[in-house]
Amino acid sequence: MHIPDGILPVSVTAAGYAATVAVTWYSLRKIKQKEDPRQDIPKASLMTAAFFVVSLIHIPIPPTSVHLVLNGLMGALLGYYAFPAILIGLFFQAVMFGHGGLTTLGVNAIIMGLPAIIAAYIFRLRKIGNKESPRKTGVFGFLAGFVALGLSVAMFVVILLTSLPVDINAAVEQAAIFALAIAHLPLMLIEGVITAFLVVFLRRVRPAMLDSP
Amino acid sequence: MKLSIDEYAGLDSPFHRWDARYKLVGLIILIFAFSFIRDLRLLPAMVLVTAAIYIISGLPARFILRWLRFPSVIILVIVLTLPFLSGERVIASLGPLALHQEGLLAALLIAVRFACIVTVGITLLGTTSLLNSIKAMRALGLPLIMADMALLTLRYLNELGETLSRMLTSMRLRGFRQRTLSPGGLKTFAWLSGSLLVRSYERSEWVYKAMILRGYGQPTRPREEFQARPADGFILGAIVFIAAALVTGDILLGHNIAAILQ
Repeated sequence: MHIPDGILPVSVTAAGYAATVAVTWYSLRKIKQKEDPRQDIPKASLMTAAFFVVSLIHIPIPPTSVHLVLNGLMGALLGYYAFPAILIGLFFQAVMFGHGGLTTLGVNAIIMGLPAIIAAYIFRLRKIGNKESPRKTGVFGFLAGFVALGLSVAMFVVILLTSLPVDINAAVEQAAIFALAIAHLPLMLIEGVITAFLVVFLRRVRPAMLDSP
Repeated sequence: MKLSIDEYAGLDSPFHRWDARYKLVGLIILIFAFSFIRDLRLLPAMVLVTAAIYIISGLPARFILRWLRFPSVIILVIVLTLPFLSGERVIASLGPLALHQEGLLAALLIAVRFACIVTVGITLLGTTSLLNSIKAMRALGLPLIMADMALLTLRYLNELGETLSRMLTSMRLRGFRQRTLSPGGLKTFAWLSGSLLVRSYERSEWVYKAMILRGYGQPTRPREEFQARPADGFILGAIVFIAAALVTGDILLGHNIAAILQ
Protein backbone atom coordinates (compact mmCIF):
# COMPACT_ATOMS: atom_id res chain seq x y z
CA MET A 1 0.00 0.00 0.00
CA HIS A 2 2.88 2.33 -0.84
CA ILE A 3 2.51 4.76 -3.73
CA PRO A 4 5.41 4.18 -6.15
CA ASP A 5 7.41 6.76 -8.09
CA GLY A 6 6.10 8.11 -11.35
CA ILE A 7 2.38 8.44 -10.60
CA LEU A 8 2.03 11.53 -8.45
CA PRO A 9 2.65 15.05 -9.77
CA VAL A 10 5.46 17.01 -8.17
CA SER A 11 2.97 19.29 -6.35
CA VAL A 12 1.65 16.30 -4.37
CA THR A 13 5.07 14.76 -3.67
CA ALA A 14 6.45 18.14 -2.57
CA ALA A 15 3.41 18.72 -0.32
CA GLY A 16 3.97 15.22 1.10
CA TYR A 17 7.58 16.07 1.95
CA ALA A 18 6.57 19.41 3.48
CA ALA A 19 3.95 17.73 5.68
CA THR A 20 6.43 14.98 6.63
CA VAL A 21 9.05 17.55 7.65
CA ALA A 22 6.43 19.35 9.77
CA VAL A 23 5.19 16.18 11.52
CA THR A 24 8.76 14.90 12.04
CA TRP A 25 9.77 18.27 13.50
CA TYR A 26 6.78 18.15 15.86
CA SER A 27 7.53 14.54 16.89
CA LEU A 28 11.21 15.31 17.51
CA ARG A 29 10.26 18.39 19.53
CA LYS A 30 8.06 16.23 21.75
CA ILE A 31 10.85 13.64 22.06
CA LYS A 32 13.41 16.32 23.01
CA GLN A 33 11.15 17.52 25.84
CA LYS A 34 11.97 14.29 27.69
CA GLU A 35 14.58 14.35 30.42
CA ASP A 36 17.05 12.25 28.41
CA PRO A 37 15.85 12.06 24.81
CA ARG A 38 18.72 9.76 23.79
CA GLN A 39 17.64 7.02 26.17
CA ASP A 40 14.79 5.81 23.97
CA ILE A 41 16.69 6.00 20.66
CA PRO A 42 18.09 2.42 20.75
CA LYS A 43 14.70 1.17 21.91
CA ALA A 44 12.83 2.90 19.08
CA SER A 45 15.47 1.84 16.54
CA LEU A 46 15.47 -1.85 17.41
CA MET A 47 11.68 -1.82 17.52
CA THR A 48 11.67 -0.17 14.08
CA ALA A 49 13.89 -2.98 12.79
CA ALA A 50 11.61 -5.55 14.49
CA PHE A 51 8.47 -3.97 12.99
CA PHE A 52 10.17 -4.01 9.62
CA VAL A 53 10.89 -7.75 9.71
CA VAL A 54 7.52 -8.61 11.30
CA SER A 55 5.77 -6.80 8.44
CA LEU A 56 7.44 -9.30 6.08
CA ILE A 57 5.50 -12.22 7.63
CA HIS A 58 2.81 -13.44 5.29
CA ILE A 59 -0.54 -14.32 6.82
CA PRO A 60 -2.32 -16.90 4.64
CA ILE A 61 -5.77 -15.94 3.37
CA PRO A 62 -6.40 -18.71 0.83
CA PRO A 63 -5.88 -18.53 -2.11
CA THR A 64 -3.48 -15.67 -1.37
CA SER A 65 -1.61 -14.21 1.59
CA VAL A 66 -1.26 -10.75 3.08
CA HIS A 67 1.40 -9.04 5.09
CA LEU A 68 0.84 -6.91 8.15
CA VAL A 69 1.22 -3.12 8.13
CA LEU A 70 1.24 -2.65 11.92
CA ASN A 71 1.23 1.15 11.86
CA GLY A 72 -1.45 1.14 14.59
CA LEU A 73 0.75 -1.03 16.80
CA MET A 74 3.76 1.18 16.10
CA GLY A 75 1.77 4.18 17.24
CA ALA A 76 0.57 2.36 20.36
CA LEU A 77 4.08 1.20 21.36
CA LEU A 78 6.33 3.97 20.11
CA GLY A 79 4.21 7.09 20.70
CA TYR A 80 6.00 10.13 19.27
CA TYR A 81 8.78 7.91 17.95
CA ALA A 82 6.26 6.22 15.62
CA PHE A 83 6.40 8.83 12.87
CA PRO A 84 10.23 8.99 12.57
CA ALA A 85 10.29 5.18 12.86
CA ILE A 86 7.77 4.79 10.01
CA LEU A 87 9.68 7.30 7.88
CA ILE A 88 12.91 5.31 8.38
CA GLY A 89 11.12 1.99 7.78
CA LEU A 90 9.60 3.30 4.53
CA PHE A 91 13.01 4.57 3.38
CA PHE A 92 14.54 1.12 3.89
CA GLN A 93 11.56 -0.58 2.23
CA ALA A 94 11.98 1.66 -0.83
CA VAL A 95 15.73 1.05 -0.87
CA MET A 96 15.69 -2.69 -0.21
CA PHE A 97 12.57 -3.92 -1.97
CA GLY A 98 11.47 -1.08 -4.24
CA HIS A 99 8.21 -0.73 -2.27
CA GLY A 100 7.14 2.90 -2.48
CA GLY A 101 9.71 5.31 -3.84
CA LEU A 102 12.06 8.17 -3.13
CA THR A 103 9.85 10.95 -4.53
CA THR A 104 6.80 9.50 -2.76
CA LEU A 105 8.54 8.90 0.57
CA GLY A 106 6.92 12.00 2.11
CA VAL A 107 3.41 11.13 0.89
CA ASN A 108 3.77 7.50 2.03
CA ALA A 109 5.07 8.63 5.43
CA ILE A 110 1.96 10.77 5.88
CA ILE A 111 -0.32 7.91 4.72
CA MET A 112 1.23 5.48 7.24
CA GLY A 113 2.48 7.83 9.95
CA LEU A 114 -0.42 10.17 10.69
CA PRO A 115 -2.80 7.25 11.41
CA ALA A 116 -0.07 5.80 13.69
CA ILE A 117 -0.09 8.99 15.78
CA ILE A 118 -3.90 8.86 15.94
CA ALA A 119 -3.62 5.17 16.99
CA ALA A 120 -1.26 6.21 19.79
CA TYR A 121 -3.95 8.54 21.15
CA ILE A 122 -6.67 5.88 20.71
CA PHE A 123 -4.58 3.36 22.65
CA ARG A 124 -4.00 5.85 25.46
CA LEU A 125 -7.78 6.04 25.97
CA ARG A 126 -7.58 2.63 27.69
CA LYS A 127 -6.33 4.43 30.80
CA ILE A 128 -9.47 6.53 31.12
CA GLY A 129 -12.05 5.52 33.70
CA ASN A 130 -11.86 2.25 35.58
CA LYS A 131 -8.69 0.31 36.14
CA GLU A 132 -6.93 -0.89 33.02
CA SER A 133 -7.84 -4.51 32.29
CA PRO A 134 -6.67 -7.05 29.69
CA ARG A 135 -10.04 -6.73 27.96
CA LYS A 136 -9.76 -2.93 27.77
CA THR A 137 -6.19 -3.21 26.51
CA GLY A 138 -7.35 -5.67 23.86
CA VAL A 139 -10.33 -3.54 22.77
CA PHE A 140 -8.28 -0.36 22.42
CA GLY A 141 -5.48 -2.35 20.78
CA PHE A 142 -8.00 -3.62 18.22
CA LEU A 143 -9.31 -0.10 17.62
CA ALA A 144 -5.77 1.27 17.22
CA GLY A 145 -4.89 -1.37 14.59
CA PHE A 146 -8.26 -1.26 12.82
CA VAL A 147 -8.62 2.54 12.68
CA ALA A 148 -4.96 3.16 11.71
CA LEU A 149 -5.10 0.82 8.73
CA GLY A 150 -8.55 2.13 7.74
CA LEU A 151 -7.30 5.73 7.71
CA SER A 152 -4.20 4.71 5.77
CA VAL A 153 -6.31 2.94 3.14
CA ALA A 154 -8.65 5.94 2.86
CA MET A 155 -5.75 8.39 2.43
CA PHE A 156 -4.00 6.09 -0.02
CA VAL A 157 -7.07 5.70 -2.25
CA VAL A 158 -7.99 9.40 -2.21
CA ILE A 159 -4.44 10.60 -2.95
CA LEU A 160 -3.92 8.02 -5.69
CA LEU A 161 -7.21 8.56 -7.51
CA THR A 162 -7.15 12.35 -7.34
CA SER A 163 -3.55 12.58 -8.54
CA LEU A 164 -3.64 10.55 -11.74
CA PRO A 165 -2.51 12.59 -14.76
CA VAL A 166 -5.89 12.10 -16.51
CA ASP A 167 -9.46 12.31 -15.30
CA ILE A 168 -11.30 9.11 -14.62
CA ASN A 169 -15.02 8.80 -15.04
CA ALA A 170 -16.72 9.67 -11.71
CA ALA A 171 -18.68 6.39 -11.68
CA VAL A 172 -15.50 4.38 -12.28
CA GLU A 173 -13.75 6.35 -9.54
CA GLN A 174 -16.56 5.66 -7.06
CA ALA A 175 -16.57 1.97 -8.00
CA ALA A 176 -12.79 1.80 -7.52
CA ILE A 177 -13.00 3.46 -4.09
CA PHE A 178 -15.82 1.12 -3.06
CA ALA A 179 -13.99 -1.99 -4.34
CA LEU A 180 -10.74 -1.01 -2.61
CA ALA A 181 -12.57 -0.27 0.66
CA ILE A 182 -14.35 -3.65 0.57
CA ALA A 183 -11.10 -5.44 -0.34
CA HIS A 184 -9.29 -3.88 2.61
CA LEU A 185 -11.98 -4.51 5.21
CA PRO A 186 -10.77 -8.07 6.02
CA LEU A 187 -7.21 -6.72 6.28
CA MET A 188 -8.36 -4.04 8.73
CA LEU A 189 -10.05 -6.73 10.83
CA ILE A 190 -6.94 -8.95 10.77
CA GLU A 191 -4.71 -5.99 11.64
CA GLY A 192 -7.05 -5.07 14.52
CA VAL A 193 -7.22 -8.64 15.86
CA ILE A 194 -3.44 -9.15 15.68
CA THR A 195 -2.81 -5.77 17.33
CA ALA A 196 -5.25 -6.73 20.10
CA PHE A 197 -3.61 -10.15 20.66
CA LEU A 198 -0.20 -8.50 20.62
CA VAL A 199 -0.89 -5.77 23.17
CA VAL A 200 -2.55 -8.29 25.51
CA PHE A 201 0.52 -10.53 25.11
CA LEU A 202 2.88 -7.62 25.83
CA ARG A 203 0.78 -6.53 28.82
CA ARG A 204 1.29 -9.98 30.30
CA VAL A 205 4.96 -10.44 29.34
CA ARG A 206 6.47 -6.94 29.38
CA PRO A 207 3.93 -4.31 30.49
CA ALA A 208 6.56 -1.54 30.47
CA MET A 209 6.52 -1.73 26.67
CA LEU A 210 2.97 -0.37 26.61
CA ASP A 211 3.96 2.90 28.27
CA SER A 212 4.91 4.58 25.02
CA PRO A 213 7.40 7.48 25.08
CA MET B 1 16.99 -10.73 4.10
CA LYS B 2 20.21 -9.12 2.86
CA LEU B 3 20.75 -5.53 1.90
CA SER B 4 21.63 -5.47 -1.76
CA ILE B 5 21.21 -1.87 -2.89
CA ASP B 6 24.85 -1.01 -2.22
CA GLU B 7 26.48 -4.25 -3.35
CA TYR B 8 28.19 -2.39 -6.22
CA ALA B 9 29.14 0.64 -4.12
CA GLY B 10 32.79 -0.45 -4.29
CA LEU B 11 33.08 0.06 -8.08
CA ASP B 12 34.94 3.01 -9.52
CA SER B 13 33.13 5.56 -11.69
CA PRO B 14 32.55 9.33 -11.69
CA PHE B 15 29.31 8.68 -9.77
CA HIS B 16 31.08 6.46 -7.23
CA ARG B 17 33.74 9.15 -6.71
CA TRP B 18 31.19 11.98 -6.52
CA ASP B 19 30.87 13.48 -3.02
CA ALA B 20 27.87 11.73 -1.44
CA ARG B 21 26.34 15.04 -0.27
CA TYR B 22 26.49 16.61 -3.74
CA LYS B 23 25.22 13.39 -5.29
CA LEU B 24 22.26 13.33 -2.91
CA VAL B 25 21.31 16.93 -3.68
CA GLY B 26 21.90 16.67 -7.44
CA LEU B 27 20.11 13.40 -8.12
CA ILE B 28 17.19 14.18 -5.79
CA ILE B 29 16.66 17.44 -7.72
CA LEU B 30 16.79 15.42 -10.95
CA ILE B 31 14.21 12.84 -9.85
CA PHE B 32 11.88 15.62 -8.74
CA ALA B 33 12.36 17.25 -12.15
CA PHE B 34 11.41 13.89 -13.69
CA SER B 35 8.23 13.75 -11.60
CA PHE B 36 7.43 17.29 -12.84
CA ILE B 37 7.39 16.18 -16.48
CA ARG B 38 3.92 15.92 -17.96
CA ASP B 39 4.68 16.54 -21.61
CA LEU B 40 5.26 13.32 -23.52
CA ARG B 41 7.61 15.01 -25.98
CA LEU B 42 10.17 15.27 -23.17
CA LEU B 43 10.13 11.55 -22.42
CA PRO B 44 12.90 10.67 -24.93
CA ALA B 45 15.17 13.32 -23.34
CA MET B 46 14.36 11.95 -19.89
CA VAL B 47 15.18 8.39 -20.99
CA LEU B 48 18.41 9.58 -22.63
CA VAL B 49 19.57 11.42 -19.48
CA THR B 50 18.69 8.40 -17.33
CA ALA B 51 20.51 5.97 -19.64
CA ALA B 52 23.59 8.21 -19.76
CA ILE B 53 23.69 8.49 -15.97
CA TYR B 54 23.30 4.74 -15.50
CA ILE B 55 25.95 3.88 -18.12
CA ILE B 56 28.44 6.36 -16.64
CA SER B 57 27.79 4.95 -13.16
CA GLY B 58 29.18 1.59 -14.34
CA LEU B 59 26.46 -0.36 -12.50
CA PRO B 60 25.66 -3.64 -14.28
CA ALA B 61 22.50 -3.84 -16.42
CA ARG B 62 21.26 -6.90 -14.51
CA PHE B 63 21.31 -4.80 -11.32
CA ILE B 64 18.72 -2.29 -12.56
CA LEU B 65 16.72 -5.05 -14.27
CA ARG B 66 16.36 -6.70 -10.88
CA TRP B 67 14.49 -3.58 -9.67
CA LEU B 68 12.50 -2.94 -12.81
CA ARG B 69 11.58 -6.57 -13.55
CA PHE B 70 8.90 -6.71 -10.88
CA PRO B 71 7.45 -3.22 -10.79
CA SER B 72 5.02 -2.34 -8.06
CA VAL B 73 1.59 -3.95 -8.39
CA ILE B 74 0.07 -0.46 -8.28
CA ILE B 75 2.09 0.66 -11.31
CA LEU B 76 1.06 -2.50 -13.20
CA VAL B 77 -2.63 -2.07 -12.35
CA ILE B 78 -2.64 1.62 -13.32
CA VAL B 79 -0.68 1.15 -16.53
CA LEU B 80 -2.85 -1.78 -17.62
CA THR B 81 -6.25 -0.30 -16.71
CA LEU B 82 -5.87 3.42 -17.39
CA PRO B 83 -6.03 3.07 -21.22
CA PHE B 84 -9.44 1.41 -20.82
CA LEU B 85 -10.85 3.59 -18.04
CA SER B 86 -9.81 7.09 -18.94
CA GLY B 87 -10.21 9.35 -21.97
CA GLU B 88 -12.70 10.11 -24.71
CA ARG B 89 -10.93 9.40 -27.99
CA VAL B 90 -11.35 5.70 -28.77
CA ILE B 91 -8.54 4.27 -30.90
CA ALA B 92 -9.54 0.60 -30.76
CA SER B 93 -12.35 -1.44 -29.29
CA LEU B 94 -12.76 -5.07 -28.47
CA GLY B 95 -16.29 -5.98 -27.39
CA PRO B 96 -17.14 -3.89 -24.32
CA LEU B 97 -13.49 -2.78 -23.94
CA ALA B 98 -12.47 0.49 -25.58
CA LEU B 99 -8.86 1.63 -25.75
CA HIS B 100 -8.63 5.39 -25.21
CA GLN B 101 -5.80 7.53 -26.51
CA GLU B 102 -5.65 9.83 -23.47
CA GLY B 103 -5.49 6.90 -21.05
CA LEU B 104 -2.84 5.16 -23.15
CA LEU B 105 -0.63 8.26 -23.19
CA ALA B 106 -1.09 8.80 -19.44
CA ALA B 107 -0.11 5.15 -18.85
CA LEU B 108 3.00 5.66 -21.02
CA LEU B 109 3.91 8.80 -19.07
CA ILE B 110 3.55 7.00 -15.73
CA ALA B 111 5.54 3.94 -16.87
CA VAL B 112 8.44 5.96 -18.29
CA ARG B 113 8.55 8.35 -15.33
CA PHE B 114 8.54 5.36 -12.96
CA ALA B 115 11.41 3.61 -14.80
CA CYS B 116 13.53 6.80 -15.01
CA ILE B 117 13.00 7.80 -11.36
CA VAL B 118 13.76 4.28 -10.11
CA THR B 119 16.90 4.06 -12.27
CA VAL B 120 18.27 7.40 -11.06
CA GLY B 121 17.30 6.50 -7.48
CA ILE B 122 19.18 3.21 -7.79
CA THR B 123 22.21 5.07 -9.19
CA LEU B 124 22.03 7.48 -6.26
CA LEU B 125 21.92 4.79 -3.58
CA GLY B 126 23.78 2.07 -5.47
CA THR B 127 26.99 4.03 -5.96
CA THR B 128 27.49 4.87 -2.27
CA SER B 129 27.29 2.55 0.72
CA LEU B 130 24.02 2.96 2.60
CA LEU B 131 26.05 3.94 5.68
CA ASN B 132 27.70 6.80 3.77
CA SER B 133 24.38 7.87 2.26
CA ILE B 134 22.93 8.24 5.77
CA LYS B 135 26.08 10.10 6.90
CA ALA B 136 25.67 12.41 3.90
CA MET B 137 22.03 13.05 4.88
CA ARG B 138 23.26 13.88 8.39
CA ALA B 139 25.85 16.28 6.95
CA LEU B 140 23.03 17.93 4.97
CA GLY B 141 20.98 18.57 8.08
CA LEU B 142 19.11 15.36 8.91
CA PRO B 143 18.37 15.64 12.68
CA LEU B 144 20.76 13.66 14.89
CA ILE B 145 17.93 11.56 16.37
CA MET B 146 16.81 10.51 12.88
CA ALA B 147 20.36 9.72 11.72
CA ASP B 148 21.08 7.67 14.88
CA MET B 149 17.77 5.82 14.53
CA ALA B 150 18.41 5.07 10.84
CA LEU B 151 21.95 3.79 11.52
CA LEU B 152 20.84 1.63 14.45
CA THR B 153 17.87 0.27 12.52
CA LEU B 154 20.16 -0.60 9.61
CA ARG B 155 22.60 -2.27 12.02
CA TYR B 156 19.93 -4.60 13.44
CA LEU B 157 17.71 -5.25 10.39
CA ASN B 158 19.57 -8.30 9.14
CA GLU B 159 20.09 -9.73 12.62
CA LEU B 160 16.42 -9.47 13.54
CA GLY B 161 15.50 -10.86 10.13
CA GLU B 162 17.62 -13.92 10.86
CA THR B 163 16.12 -14.23 14.36
CA LEU B 164 12.62 -14.19 12.87
CA SER B 165 13.60 -16.77 10.28
CA ARG B 166 14.95 -19.06 13.06
CA MET B 167 11.73 -18.58 15.04
CA LEU B 168 9.60 -19.48 12.00
CA THR B 169 11.73 -22.61 11.43
CA SER B 170 11.30 -23.61 15.10
CA MET B 171 7.53 -23.17 14.76
CA ARG B 172 7.44 -25.44 11.71
CA LEU B 173 9.65 -28.04 13.43
CA ARG B 174 7.18 -28.08 16.31
CA GLY B 175 4.40 -28.87 13.87
CA PHE B 176 2.88 -25.41 13.19
CA ARG B 177 1.18 -25.38 9.80
CA GLN B 178 -0.92 -22.42 8.82
CA ARG B 179 -2.87 -22.94 5.63
CA THR B 180 -6.18 -21.30 6.48
CA LEU B 181 -7.14 -18.18 8.37
CA SER B 182 -8.21 -18.90 11.94
CA PRO B 183 -8.28 -16.99 15.24
CA GLY B 184 -5.79 -19.50 16.68
CA GLY B 185 -3.43 -18.93 13.76
CA LEU B 186 -3.67 -15.15 14.15
CA LYS B 187 -2.94 -15.49 17.86
CA THR B 188 0.16 -17.54 17.06
CA PHE B 189 1.36 -14.91 14.59
CA ALA B 190 0.68 -12.18 17.16
CA TRP B 191 2.65 -14.03 19.84
CA LEU B 192 5.49 -14.69 17.41
CA SER B 193 5.63 -10.98 16.55
CA GLY B 194 5.29 -10.10 20.24
CA SER B 195 8.20 -12.38 21.16
CA LEU B 196 10.40 -10.70 18.56
CA LEU B 197 9.40 -7.26 19.83
CA VAL B 198 10.13 -8.27 23.45
CA ARG B 199 13.55 -9.64 22.44
CA SER B 200 14.32 -6.41 20.56
CA TYR B 201 13.16 -4.31 23.50
CA GLU B 202 15.31 -6.24 25.97
CA ARG B 203 18.29 -6.16 23.66
CA SER B 204 17.92 -2.41 23.16
CA GLU B 205 18.45 -1.88 26.89
CA TRP B 206 21.82 -3.66 26.66
CA VAL B 207 22.68 -1.80 23.47
CA TYR B 208 21.98 1.53 25.16
CA LYS B 209 24.18 0.64 28.14
CA ALA B 210 26.97 -0.44 25.78
CA MET B 211 26.61 2.80 23.83
CA ILE B 212 26.83 4.88 27.03
CA LEU B 213 29.97 2.98 28.05
CA ARG B 214 31.50 3.85 24.69
CA GLY B 215 30.77 7.54 25.23
CA TYR B 216 27.47 7.95 23.37
CA GLY B 217 26.01 11.40 23.91
CA GLN B 218 29.30 12.94 25.06
CA PRO B 219 30.42 16.03 23.17
CA THR B 220 32.75 15.00 20.37
CA ARG B 221 34.97 16.94 18.05
CA PRO B 222 33.17 17.15 14.72
CA ARG B 223 34.97 14.97 12.19
CA GLU B 224 34.89 16.03 8.57
CA GLU B 225 33.53 12.95 6.79
CA PHE B 226 33.35 14.45 3.33
CA GLN B 227 35.79 16.50 1.30
CA ALA B 228 34.38 18.06 -1.84
CA ARG B 229 36.57 18.54 -4.93
CA PRO B 230 35.95 21.13 -7.66
CA ALA B 231 34.77 18.30 -9.93
CA ASP B 232 31.97 17.50 -7.44
CA GLY B 233 30.59 21.01 -7.79
CA PHE B 234 30.91 20.81 -11.57
CA ILE B 235 28.90 17.55 -11.79
CA LEU B 236 26.27 19.01 -9.45
CA GLY B 237 26.02 22.10 -11.68
CA ALA B 238 25.61 19.92 -14.78
CA ILE B 239 22.85 17.79 -13.19
CA VAL B 240 20.98 20.85 -11.87
CA PHE B 241 21.25 22.42 -15.34
CA ILE B 242 19.71 19.28 -16.93
CA ALA B 243 16.92 19.26 -14.32
CA ALA B 244 16.22 22.96 -14.88
CA ALA B 245 16.20 22.44 -18.67
CA LEU B 246 13.66 19.62 -18.39
CA VAL B 247 11.37 21.62 -16.11
CA THR B 248 11.65 24.72 -18.32
CA GLY B 249 10.99 22.61 -21.40
CA ASP B 250 7.88 21.15 -19.79
CA ILE B 251 6.56 24.61 -18.86
CA LEU B 252 7.29 26.02 -22.33
CA LEU B 253 5.71 23.06 -24.12
CA GLY B 254 2.47 23.43 -22.19
CA HIS B 255 3.06 20.32 -20.05
CA ASN B 256 -0.17 18.55 -20.68
CA ILE B 257 -1.38 15.55 -22.56
CA ALA B 258 -4.29 17.39 -24.19
CA ALA B 259 -1.88 19.76 -25.94
CA ILE B 260 -0.18 16.84 -27.64
CA LEU B 261 -3.43 15.38 -28.90
CA GLN B 262 -4.47 18.56 -30.67
